[in-house]
Amino acid sequence: MTLLAQYALTGVVTGCFLILATIGFSLTRQVEGFLNIAHAEMLGVSAFITWGLNAVAGWPFIPSAAVAVVATAFLGLAIGRVVYDPMRRHGPAVLLITSVGVAYVMAGMMHAIIGTGIRSLNIPLATSYRAFGLRLTDYQMIVVALAAITGVSLALFMNRTRTGLAIRAMSANPELAASRGIDVRQTSRATWLIASGLAGLAGVVLALIATLSTDIAFNQILQILAVAILAGLGSLYSVIAAGLIVGIAMDLSVYWIPAGYRPLIAFMVVILALLVRPQGLSGKARS
Amino acid sequence: MNLVQLFLAVVMFGSLFSVLTLSLNLQYARGGMINFGTVAYFAAGAYAYAIVTQEPPSGLDQYLVGLHGPWWAGFLAAGVAAMAFAVLTGWPTLRLRGEYLALTTFAFAEMLHSLLVNERRIGNGTVGLANVERPDPGSLGLPDAWTYAGAAFVLMLATALVFRHLLASPYGRAIDAVRDDEGAAEAIGKDIARLRFEVFVISAVPIGFAGALYAMITTLVSPDLFTAEVTFFVWIALVLGGERTILGAVLGTMALVGFQELVRAIPFESVRAAEIAAAGEDIVTGVLFILILRWQPFEAMMKRRRAA
Repeated sequence: MTLLAQYALTGVVTGCFLILATIGFSLTRQVEGFLNIAHAEMLGVSAFITWGLNAVAGWPFIPSAAVAVVATAFLGLAIGRVVYDPMRRHGPAVLLITSVGVAYVMAGMMHAIIGTGIRSLNIPLATSYRAFGLRLTDYQMIVVALAAITGVSLALFMNRTRTGLAIRAMSANPELAASRGIDVRQTSRATWLIASGLAGLAGVVLALIATLSTDIAFNQILQILAVAILAGLGSLYSVIAAGLIVGIAMDLSVYWIPAGYRPLIAFMVVILALLVRPQGLSGKARS
Repeated sequence: MNLVQLFLAVVMFGSLFSVLTLSLNLQYARGGMINFGTVAYFAAGAYAYAIVTQEPPSGLDQYLVGLHGPWWAGFLAAGVAAMAFAVLTGWPTLRLRGEYLALTTFAFAEMLHSLLVNERRIGNGTVGLANVERPDPGSLGLPDAWTYAGAAFVLMLATALVFRHLLASPYGRAIDAVRDDEGAAEAIGKDIARLRFEVFVISAVPIGFAGALYAMITTLVSPDLFTAEVTFFVWIALVLGGERTILGAVLGTMALVGFQELVRAIPFESVRAAEIAAAGEDIVTGVLFILILRWQPFEAMMKRRRAA
């Protein structure tokens, strides 16, 4: 029983990481209207900027992470403006396929600059804490805390600020938003900054809890997609619920079946959910 | 690598992957379905071929079934396996639209991949099945490479002909109608769900055959050969060649395969240099892809031709 509870607890941590990784993806989908496959590569970029500054240049962890998040946010903005903006008239399917090309370019650059092999940050080893027979490391606690802070501050941002409300208006109905005087271009830029910044944050978390290799990003896109579909490409809250469901389901499954099947479980959940609710958790009437 | 070898490799793999591009063309450009799991049907074909033809397991082998059947039985089984997988995946997903379909087909492909890696009883897990049996053209006095390049070319021609015939028929026009305006197609009595499902399943069959031929050529099937990269490769080829034409799909694939083989033919002094070249290949492929999607030169060319 304790073991099962332990897996569930680890699942919550996995879920929190997935939430961080998926919010930006889902935000891009809502405002820009397409699935950005290259989102996962942004996680990789951020993780390796953190690694480069921390392990190679010898900076302390926190400034490295901060620089990585900001750099990733602006890289995302630049890609959005240079690559995706001029192509918007071609429709979401073409943009989706284009993002595969962007992912190729980014992955290729990371391979060329960094090369293969496993890397790790120059940070102290994780310390385990025990309570009621359950273990949790300090880094895992940081992940959960970051996800919670991000969730709350993003919810506040979306509901209380002008830009946040503009983003929500754009995602609900772009034409109506534009006709009501919302600056579409500026809102789109804000979205790219926020979405890519969140990818950067998720990348830092990834660097913290996982061993780094250049193909790490691709492995994340699968899980991000799983969470995003389950959430119905919908609101912030459904992403949080879906992230936790997928995370817990994946880690709990290890109790009964070999760990190699974890990614498979993520998609089993998704396919089951789609069979019951074809529009995802958020249950919008139209896809 | 000399020029003849390069030519052979381009014809062999170019034709083989053209079969995939052609099927994708049918699903996407004509059927309006985004299938992001193309590799799964390819893998299903290759594994079906290997399982039907290989000898029963011995020694360290962990797979359960080896029928040691003749090659043509394996080839047919490959088509059936791809079709079966298409039925299995198409039935729950085809009522989903656009990007949902892309995501779920992608998910199914990853599930199959994960199953092949983890379930050693299918095909030795990550190790895969080596020394896949294949007909020996040498017994007929034919050189190996030429024969298989020819076989791939014939498979491509056959696929192209069948698809062209299919699309030129009233059935093809019904498919176009469903893609262009579902409501209108439904109003004149076309069963949309059924048509989409049929196109999806029919176009999976040649992919399965291509998988079997691929297993014969490489004499190896392992999960590493069937990653999402294959799917992306075919998509890039389809975009390169300009959508919606059979010739375009084939030329796009040939160009992409030729480009890859050229990069691979360059001799490298060190592992690091080879690594950088491989990365450079990805970067150039990605940039080309973006540029073509951005300016769509082929669409423009078609328009000009139509205007003239």
